[in-house]
Amino acid sequence: MCPPLLRVEDLRLYFSTRKGAVKAVDDVSFEVDRGETLALIGESGCGKSSLAKAIIRLLPRNVSVYEGHVYLNGEDLMNLDEEEFRKTVRWTGISMVSQAALNSLNPVIKVGQQVAEPLILHKGMKGKEALEKARETLQRVGIPETFADRYPFELSGGMRQRAIIAMTLITNPDLIILDEPTSALDVLTQANIMNLLKKIKRELNLSFIFITHDIALSSELADKVAVMYAGQIVELSDAERFYKSPLHPYSTKLMASVPTLRENKKLEFIPGSPPSLIEPPKGCRFAPRCPYRTEDCSRDPPLISLGDGCYVRCWLHWKG
Amino acid sequence: MEVRNNPAYSHLTSGEMEELIDKLYEQEVKRLGLDKPFLYRSFIYLKNALTLELGRAQYLTSDSGSRNVRNIILERLPATVLLFTTANLIIFVIGLFGGLFLSRRYGSKLDKVIVTLSPLSSIPGWFYGIFLILIFASWFHLLPYGGFVDAPPPKDSLNYALSVMKHMILPVISWLISYSLIEIYVRRTFFLMFSNEDYVEMAKAKGVPPRMIERRYILRPTLPPIITSFALTLISSWMGAIITERVFNWPGIGSLFYMAASIFDSPVIIGEVVIYAYLLGLTVFVLDVIYALIDPRIRVGGA
Repeated sequence: MCPPLLRVEDLRLYFSTRKGAVKAVDDVSFEVDRGETLALIGESGCGKSSLAKAIIRLLPRNVSVYEGHVYLNGEDLMNLDEEEFRKTVRWTGISMVSQAALNSLNPVIKVGQQVAEPLILHKGMKGKEALEKARETLQRVGIPETFADRYPFELSGGMRQRAIIAMTLITNPDLIILDEPTSALDVLTQANIMNLLKKIKRELNLSFIFITHDIALSSELADKVAVMYAGQIVELSDAERFYKSPLHPYSTKLMASVPTLRENKKLEFIPGSPPSLIEPPKGCRFAPRCPYRTEDCSRDPPLISLGDGCYVRCWLHWKG
Repeated sequence: MEVRNNPAYSHLTSGEMEELIDKLYEQEVKRLGLDKPFLYRSFIYLKNALTLELGRAQYLTSDSGSRNVRNIILERLPATVLLFTTANLIIFVIGLFGGLFLSRRYGSKLDKVIVTLSPLSSIPGWFYGIFLILIFASWFHLLPYGGFVDAPPPKDSLNYALSVMKHMILPVISWLISYSLIEIYVRRTFFLMFSNEDYVEMAKAKGVPPRMIERRYILRPTLPPIITSFALTLISSWMGAIITERVFNWPGIGSLFYMAASIFDSPVIIGEVVIYAYLLGLTVFVLDVIYALIDPRIRVGGA
């Protein structure tokens, strides 16, 4: 069997701060196959974006621990130095739409040139040719060609987001990380972008890691779901199974907090707030907020395999 | 005097002469508007100043002997502009590249050293200048103590230029020692701030090489404020380097100001202020044009 497109193993990313080490990503492992979309969901501040940054190696200056393995097509990226990583992985292997997409375009360079830039850098294309390709790609994501000659401030938020998506597509990367690609947009634009992503996924058979705090949104795109809590993955499951019956108490609670349109259901919320990542609670990190807490929970639960690539980090599912 | 010594009036009696003097005096007062209230006179001055008619100096003369304030100032302006444009340009370049260099090495030993030393820039350039003169002029006799050119000035223009350059070395170095550190520090902090922008991170994710990130994603968008600060520093240095020019005996605007202030030649002092105001206005105007050229966000509504 050929190796999965992306395999992350025991990835850790700690930041040193004045108060102590922030364990933003703590021992995370998962796999993404070609053509598959992994939705990474969780509350704000649970380490989703840090995980994305750890994969694509966009680290802030105060990193104290950065270890583990990230295999892309079977090759361990952690062995590459920055220059090799830049040449072989950035945008050719993995590209990314970042959280602050509205501010991700250089304000003084024309959109077309920015979209074309990766081609010139990585594929050795000439400026003209690359620009032509950029126009094509912009059109594919629904931006009229003429906008290639505009500056970012002349585009609306949704358009800028599309332009960035065009930019991520242009080099045909193996994997695209979407870090909350729609959270800065209004609902209609959001729906628009989601449809675009679905279309792209269908047409190009791309792999995505889709990071979001919006469970309803994640169901649009996901094949697999990973739920993150306090820097750890607490549930990793097939999308269909997950949305039907989440296993981890945190996941069930998350699902119950999603509003539905017709039913007049009382929205649930999870009392308390996510734990500090500096000194996470001993044992199960969710235990202090968990309604099913037992004595077992003072011990660290392992990631328990339930078969079919389904994992959960909770003692409730421990059998023997 | 003009009346008493004038042969045309020699037939007048001394009484008539006094009368004539008084009359001429009154006339002159009226002509200059000195009988008008202060506010009114200010507007007369403003009107004249608009055409650079800055009046006559009370005591100082230009090197060519003119009492006209405009001539006095314009004669000395080039020397100042030459010296401090050179110094500031070098400091600017050092600051820009030093800043970029340090922002790349944020938190390193060198970074910490520069940050720690940067308050040294509160010691003005002329202070170092005194020591430089002591060392290089007095001890080693390598460079001149001060002044603009050798005396007598060389005849051909090449040697003249070389002589001027030789005289510029010490003042320029004194400014470099003093102001480079703070300039590097300020630019470094500035670049650090802007290197946290989302589009810089995006560029890094895109695999843009570090040098190119600096050029296209950090330097380029921050050019307008950098150019502004440079232009304003430049203009104020043309007016404000009074003590440096004094120390190096540089025949520029600053030492003129010093002389004018010490003998209370107010027309010259006011004239300098007016020229400064003009330069400032002109600079801001030019900056506006430059902004539109380098920043597309300002070109709104144009073609």
